[in-house]
Amino acid sequence: MDKLKENQAAYYPGCALLTIDRAYNNSSKLVSKKMGIELVEIPDYNCCGIGEMKSKGAASMYLPLRNMMIAKNRLGSKNLVMACSVCYHEFSRSINRVKENQNELTAVNEIFKEAGEFKEEYIPDGEARHILEFLYNEKGVEEVKKNVVKPLKGLKVAPYYGCLYSRPSMYTFTDKKPKMDNSERPRFMHEFLEALGAETVFYGNEVQCCGGRNVVQDEETSFTLCSQTISKAKKAGADVIALICPKCAGALDVNQPKIVEKFGKDSELPIVYLTQLMALAFGFSKKEAEFSDMISEPLKVLNEKGF
Amino acid sequence: MAIEKHDKENSGGGRPVAEKGEHIVARHLIEDDNIKEEKNLVIDGVDVSGRWNTFIISRVDSDFDRSFFEEIKKTVVGSRINRCWQCGMCTASCTVTPLYRRFNPRAFIYMMQLGNLRELKKYIDVAWRCVGCYKCSQRCPKQVNPAEMMEALALVMKKYFSEEVKTKLKLDEEVKTIYEDMIIGHGRLDLAKLHTSAMQKSGRTKEMLGKIERGAIFEMVKDGRAFSVLRLGKPHNWSSSKEAIENYLHKLKTIENSEAGV
Repeated sequence: MDKLKENQAAYYPGCALLTIDRAYNNSSKLVSKKMGIELVEIPDYNCCGIGEMKSKGAASMYLPLRNMMIAKNRLGSKNLVMACSVCYHEFSRSINRVKENQNELTAVNEIFKEAGEFKEEYIPDGEARHILEFLYNEKGVEEVKKNVVKPLKGLKVAPYYGCLYSRPSMYTFTDKKPKMDNSERPRFMHEFLEALGAETVFYGNEVQCCGGRNVVQDEETSFTLCSQTISKAKKAGADVIALICPKCAGALDVNQPKIVEKFGKDSELPIVYLTQLMALAFGFSKKEAEFSDMISEPLKVLNEKGF
Repeated sequence: MAIEKHDKENSGGGRPVAEKGEHIVARHLIEDDNIKEEKNLVIDGVDVSGRWNTFIISRVDSDFDRSFFEEIKKTVVGSRINRCWQCGMCTASCTVTPLYRRFNPRAFIYMMQLGNLRELKKYIDVAWRCVGCYKCSQRCPKQVNPAEMMEALALVMKKYFSEEVKTKLKLDEEVKTIYEDMIIGHGRLDLAKLHTSAMQKSGRTKEMLGKIERGAIFEMVKDGRAFSVLRLGKPHNWSSSKEAIENYLHKLKTIENSEAGV
């Protein structure tokens, strides 16, 4: 595979984005390209560990770091862009842990050596970047404004950041590095949405957790948390909730019929990805933005509003 | 001082008696067993039953088990335990505590610091509730990283109470195994398979045939997503990584066993 050109970035799709969350994957690519950066998938990627391997020491860090090695070796890119907040967390956690602890770096490199896939050792010199932060810092709000051809006038959006995009700052460096978002009150998605012409609503659950991690074993917790978020957003007058994580989509969108069954119509609100709204405002069709993939049926409200 | 207890009901009414521990501040943080209360108590002829007469049994532990502390500290997830000064910010900001009052990260870290396995054992059923949202780690003034300390807690539970974990946390363990087998064995997550196996394990196969599940499956078959899930293969050369990870985990287990004297 060829090394990346200047207007390209190495992109990690993760397991969800190539399958059931293709709407997020495809709209991210469309939007980035429109803004002047082509996302190039790394070949041969493996699962980041999705938070389930944390207690396994160096093995949990080997998983994301193997992908960093691929990006560097095959595409010549130290950094890796990803759209899933869980992947982003796993990558930044692993990179920072081995950066700050020599023993853990050695242990990871021993696994690399034994697997024998790469010639050189892993050096923690690259960064994982969440697509929202990446587009915000590399291209900025002005670039978004420039590309809007169909402003989302009259659409009220509840931006939902979830947990791992901005937390914990010891891994994400929010509040700590310049040009990074705020941990408690992130703003990047707000600014993007406002640049699209949409109206953002304040509902107080922007950085609350959806409980997605325990959704299989402990539905009750997840459903309760999701219901709180959805009903608060609805009460604040939102037409849709905008997400930046496929795990949040699993909890808020895919499970919404069950949540409504349990908590009633107050917990019913269309869910979309931020990049889908961006694609729509950039002039792509609703079909190209794949709104029909969402279980919570955002198409109804979008049609009503005349988009 | 003459202390007598008398049966209120027979003595004809008197002041209303509060619920057990009703007036304790942060009542949810204290187990029932740790509250000592005398509802109908007379001291020197004065009826003192009522709200003031509640005591919390001392929880002071004097038998520190330092080896246990070191054991936690050695794990990657529990390495920051020595920083905790018990301010309680983790529990105050926890997403799960308001839903499960007995889920109390601060108390869990305290018990781990002391090596108090007897106390820890009482919380096996809630120890797995952490949603991993990292609010605690974000707000912890000492960067203890309580979210990862909860992973360390899981390690402790598995090691010392393996029998109880097997029975009380059967589903949690089985789901964890499905994840691990898929991540290590296959290199990638097959979300459809993950979902169906987890539902099967929890005995909810009937639900999968229900209206909601069926609707979602139908949609995904119709728009082609179901097939993309099936098509997702392994990364090339994954077998060498798989072997290396398995060897590492095997080594980890051997060291742990030799330390525990197994």
